[in-house]
Amino acid sequence: MDLKRLETARLYSRFGFGPRPGEYAQALKAGVAATKQNLLNPPQIDSGAVALPVVTDLGKRPEANTPEVITFARQMRLQSEAIEIWWLDQMVATNKPLQEKMVWFWHGHWATSIGKVNYPMPMLQQNQTFRKYALGNFNEFAKAMFMDGALQIWLDGGDNTVKAPNENFSREMMELFLLGVNRYTETDVKELARAFTGYQVSRSTGAITYNDKRRDTKSVTILSKSAVMSPEDAVTHLVSQPNCAQFIAERIWFRFVSSQTPLPAGHPMIASFAGRELAPLLSTLVNGSDLSNPQYEMVKSPVEWFIGVCRALGLTPSKLDSFTKLHGYLDKLSQIPFSPPNVGGWPTDEAWLSSASAQFRITFATWLVGQADLSALTEQVPAARAAYLADLLAVPEWSPRTSFALREVRDVIPRLVILAICSPEYVVSP
Amino acid sequence: MNEIPTMSTEQLGMSKYTRRQFLKFSGAATAAGAASVLSINDIAEAAITRPLPAGTPILVVVTLYGGNDGLNTVIPYKDSAYYAARPTLNYKPETLLPLTEDMALNASMTGIKSLWDQQKVAIVRGVGYPKPDHSHFSSMAIWQTASPQTHLNTGWLGRWLDNQAIDPMLAISLGSVLPPLLAGGTQSGSALPIGGLAIPNGAIGKACLRLSAVSQRDSKLSAAAATSMRNLFNLSSSVTPVLSQAVPVADDLPTVAGGNAGGDSNLTQQLNVVAKLIAAGAPTKVWSVSLGGFDTHANEANAQAALLGTVSTSITKFLSQMKASGRSKDITVMVYSEFGRRVKANGSDGTDHGTAGPMFLIGDRVQGGMYGDQPSLTKLVDGDLAVTTDFRDVYSSVIESVLLSPAEKVLGPWNGRVKAFKPV
Repeated sequence: MDLKRLETARLYSRFGFGPRPGEYAQALKAGVAATKQNLLNPPQIDSGAVALPVVTDLGKRPEANTPEVITFARQMRLQSEAIEIWWLDQMVATNKPLQEKMVWFWHGHWATSIGKVNYPMPMLQQNQTFRKYALGNFNEFAKAMFMDGALQIWLDGGDNTVKAPNENFSREMMELFLLGVNRYTETDVKELARAFTGYQVSRSTGAITYNDKRRDTKSVTILSKSAVMSPEDAVTHLVSQPNCAQFIAERIWFRFVSSQTPLPAGHPMIASFAGRELAPLLSTLVNGSDLSNPQYEMVKSPVEWFIGVCRALGLTPSKLDSFTKLHGYLDKLSQIPFSPPNVGGWPTDEAWLSSASAQFRITFATWLVGQADLSALTEQVPAARAAYLADLLAVPEWSPRTSFALREVRDVIPRLVILAICSPEYVVSP
Repeated sequence: MNEIPTMSTEQLGMSKYTRRQFLKFSGAATAAGAASVLSINDIAEAAITRPLPAGTPILVVVTLYGGNDGLNTVIPYKDSAYYAARPTLNYKPETLLPLTEDMALNASMTGIKSLWDQQKVAIVRGVGYPKPDHSHFSSMAIWQTASPQTHLNTGWLGRWLDNQAIDPMLAISLGSVLPPLLAGGTQSGSALPIGGLAIPNGAIGKACLRLSAVSQRDSKLSAAAATSMRNLFNLSSSVTPVLSQAVPVADDLPTVAGGNAGGDSNLTQQLNVVAKLIAAGAPTKVWSVSLGGFDTHANEANAQAALLGTVSTSITKFLSQMKASGRSKDITVMVYSEFGRRVKANGSDGTDHGTAGPMFLIGDRVQGGMYGDQPSLTKLVDGDLAVTTDFRDVYSSVIESVLLSPAEKVLGPWNGRVKAFKPV
């Protein structure tokens, strides 16, 4: 395998959502170092940014069997659709691929589902928080996430009171968000739950209010430190643990490099996270040697695959015919933004490779290709089309099997593209 | 990149079997459509040459999405507390189907009642898990992953699959989306949309078959991607002919305010497909089907009765259909929902999300009767029924007695059992 093609492909498909036409070939000319520089130093303003959808406070659900509940349900649906299509458009249109990919990463990290939150407004606000801190200071980020309405609703934060502590949030904060499983005790979970008491959340807006009566004001002992701690104090204490740097490096590794091979001990990402700044951690990973190691393959998740196809073929999700169909395809492939399956986030690798998903990917691809302008490919002489597609899609190389399959259909342009985007070489990021 | 491909004719789709020949093997009566040439690899061949051996137990899991109201399913009809908690949402004793001294079935479940009379129904009461979660989403995830404390990405039957030889036909879920239940770490069950997996046919089908051929240059995951596409052809070529036989239309389901908490609406049709595939000898040990609509926050009585009627009728019909195949004695049906509902009815003649509920185990291998204690209607936990049986007790027994596998590999060390199966 040509390692330069491999590493450049990974920079596009893992640290972004894939190249636009011409970008991959250009990057190969510019060289790996320049491509890394471009990735890590994007323009300040995202010129591709898509305007935020209008999402309003829909208030309490009206009584059943009233005219009001019908209007309410309709608004809930429309606004939920609006935030979903907005984010898909944003992923396609962005000119800051690493930033957008980090937003996607954090969505899978602080995995919160609209399935329980219900209201679109808190979900969109959470997404804005991901944007604000995507590559920022992790301590500030973690404190902001404690005060995140959607996450509070998701993990029953409002039920956590001095009289009846609810450990859901405190457990996940340590297990899934900040430290990793078994890096704390059950007592730590209980104590942290006490430090988190006293907050209530409005379901429709995600606004958080403090209620003194619900607050446990006594001292808590968390990971050997005893003090009266506010939630912010407790979060800062957790983030300052060496295990936090280890854990965040592990999660970045798991999603960007390999879900199969664990993070090598003492990986340089850990040291570069000493100040709890995310940008240096990412830049250490990007500039390191892991990305040219052929063993670290990953399966693209359905959304990553779909966004990559849109970017390559010049498609805009909101302009596809229609939203219902698009949502249906993503649903069949089991990945809809804002709806992760559980607080553990999206599955990886083989989980995306069922026979049913192979079928749906082919029908989805057929539907997408039918709406794309393929004239640039048509202009290529038939013998050059497979190589053109490899560059368009940032595929390092076609296997002999796929080369043969593509060659057999190279005169039927739509079929050729369907095959290319359903090929193992594109479904998997090699 | 342009080396000459080295592939056998079989990999290129020119298999020694044609679709028509395959149909002969699989015993399907008529071939639908033209005999397009398909590849059938080892797995599909095993499905033909090694059908599920007679006498192999089969598990059919029925998931009721939305939170079925257990108290109005298996009803403590002599308990005055039941009538007190639900003054306008109760059933008159004389309309119910008595099971024991103090318990009766919902009047719509006549089919299940007749199976009960034949001692083929075990009802496990008060089933749940510690610290009940009232979210549909989370609670269903807990039931399907069998992990109340930590979040797992694998289902309990998926972990059972992890301990079996690789076979995409071992566990099949009807419907387009694979439920977490069948998601394993190393292998998952297959999702089979009603009507069968549509094989890409014609030119695109041939092209996809070329694309899914084995390549020596494939890495592990690329090979898995190719295999998943190849299995699509295998699965669909072996099951589509069966499915193309006439399938009766689905029952008309009531239009109810049953919420949107998942599940399909055509249980009868799903079980009909399962029946045909079992009869055809599919090497499948686990089937998953579902019915949605149980989220009855308002005007519950009629809606729930209609849904329970569908459950009862479709299961009864399914088991009687299986008699002709000689496999009816091998089948165990397990019915569950993500939670029961609040004991006290709410202001709109419905019930809100609750906790414990009854599970049903149905089949010839089942020792009919009541299992687990009926939760008290007066000693409530925060207004909810107390959990008297952990669902892992039931799962353990099902894994051991139906799937004939060690439960510990799926659930970890777990001592509780529900002895609802006849000794083998």
